[in-house]
Amino acid sequence: MESIKLKLIYPEDKIKEPILSRVCKNFDVEINIRKANVTENIGWLELEMTGDEDQIEQAIKFMESQGIEVSPLEGQIFLE
Amino acid sequence: MAKVKALKCKECGKEYPVEPIHVCEYCFGPLEIEYDYDEIKKIVSREKIENGPKSLWRYVDLLPVDNPSVGLSAGFTPLIKAEKLGRKLGLNNLYIKDDSVNHPTLSFKDRVVAVALSKAKEFGFDTAACASTGNLANSVAANAAASGMNCYVFIPANLETNKIIGSLVFNPTVVAVEGNYDDVNRLSSEVANEFGWAFVNINVRPFYSEGSKTLAFEVAEQLGWKAPDAVVAPLASGSLYTKIWKGFNELKTVGLISDNSPRMYGAQASGCSPIYKAFKEGRDWIVPEKPDTIAKSIAIGNPADGPYAVKVGKESSGDMEIATDQEIIEGMKLLAETEGIFTETAGGTTIAVLKRFAEKGVFDPDEIVVAYITGNGYKTMEVLEGHLNKPIHIKPSLHEFKEKVIGIKVKK
Ligand SMILES: Cc1ncc(COP(=O)(O)O)c(C=O)c1O
Ligand SMILES: [Zn+2]
Repeated sequence: MESIKLKLIYPEDKIKEPILSRVCKNFDVEINIRKANVTENIGWLELEMTGDEDQIEQAIKFMESQGIEVSPLEGQIFLE
Repeated sequence: MAKVKALKCKECGKEYPVEPIHVCEYCFGPLEIEYDYDEIKKIVSREKIENGPKSLWRYVDLLPVDNPSVGLSAGFTPLIKAEKLGRKLGLNNLYIKDDSVNHPTLSFKDRVVAVALSKAKEFGFDTAACASTGNLANSVAANAAASGMNCYVFIPANLETNKIIGSLVFNPTVVAVEGNYDDVNRLSSEVANEFGWAFVNINVRPFYSEGSKTLAFEVAEQLGWKAPDAVVAPLASGSLYTKIWKGFNELKTVGLISDNSPRMYGAQASGCSPIYKAFKEGRDWIVPEKPDTIAKSIAIGNPADGPYAVKVGKESSGDMEIATDQEIIEGMKLLAETEGIFTETAGGTTIAVLKRFAEKGVFDPDEIVVAYITGNGYKTMEVLEGHLNKPIHIKPSLHEFKEKVIGIKVKK
């Protein structure tokens, strides 16, 4: 079992879609939301996802394919 | 006794023991060092600091480290009275804090890495790591080499190797990860969790970021134990900017200075300005961006300390501005031509924004203004290609020299 902290950013046109519930249905992962802010034109939330490595990876790929920006809560690469 | 009480969540205030952890388990807020300032007050004094080592470790009483062992010559960089640049900008008391000559790798990152890895050694880590293609990787690799730590540097696979020669020379293990920057980050935090390595900007980040406070401490001491009226500093993750503010506040808290802290002016590149935008739009949250700027060292699209930087900007009665790539190059040239300092694009951004604020008249001409120059231009010379004067080509003859270089018409 792995667990990873993620920040999800929803573009305006995706805010109303139940993407997270689809994630839970389609992949064997558990989601624990810690913080969220959803307004009319932007939505973001921070959550912890727990599951097997490949399930987490596929869940992330799925969310990205739905137009959600998925970034790790921890770590930032420094360019140059 | 102990100067450090705990780690404390910046969001919900929950306290944690002093361990290599960085995120609040409850609210995911970042953890910060909580000091016992009453204790520190008893042990610090100007004299003690002035008689301390000629490095940032003279401020060890205000840092979360007990036994400095890495980066022993970091910090203690020049503060230069910038007469010529000041005259151009109408500022009579302009100073440059010149971290382009920090030791050993010529950027302010030598400060944060000295603190992070000294603490990592105290925790018992034998491996240092980071995700970076530039200044941070240079410093982690150099300091790890010098202190006998193993070193892993994570970069995206599509990066040309000549971008990281300044790190490779120290012989770290460089891991080129297939994927974008987010993938590199995600893997890095997974590795940090599983392997128990000291990732300077992940699990030891609360300690790492404290190193930037020394940029405030040194300036205050160099000004004769005085805070400037205003400072200009670049923003990437927002850490440096918020910690400079914290540094000046701490000096007052422990009684080393009596001035109020300076107004904090923040500089971003227009091609990556999520903190500036949040500040200007009055948001306390950040909309991430895909960076597109020559100022790579400060191009962080999803800045971890962005919301805190916005807060500091407001609290200090400061402001933020942006500079285009062209203005950044002009800023680099301006600093070089007036003060003889060759900075990289982050410094060019700072100077460009300093100029913009000076032109707007936000500084009183006699105020003490400090611009933080955080990196060295010799690392990113390619950005200047095509932007500088060309050499004047002549034959080895005095005649040609006079005519082409000096501009004297010589009779045949
Ligand atoms: C030269 C230089 N200046 C400034 C910064 C900004 O640092 P921070 O992420 O603390 O805002 C960086 C960070 O990478 C840097 O390399
Ligand atoms: Zn918390």
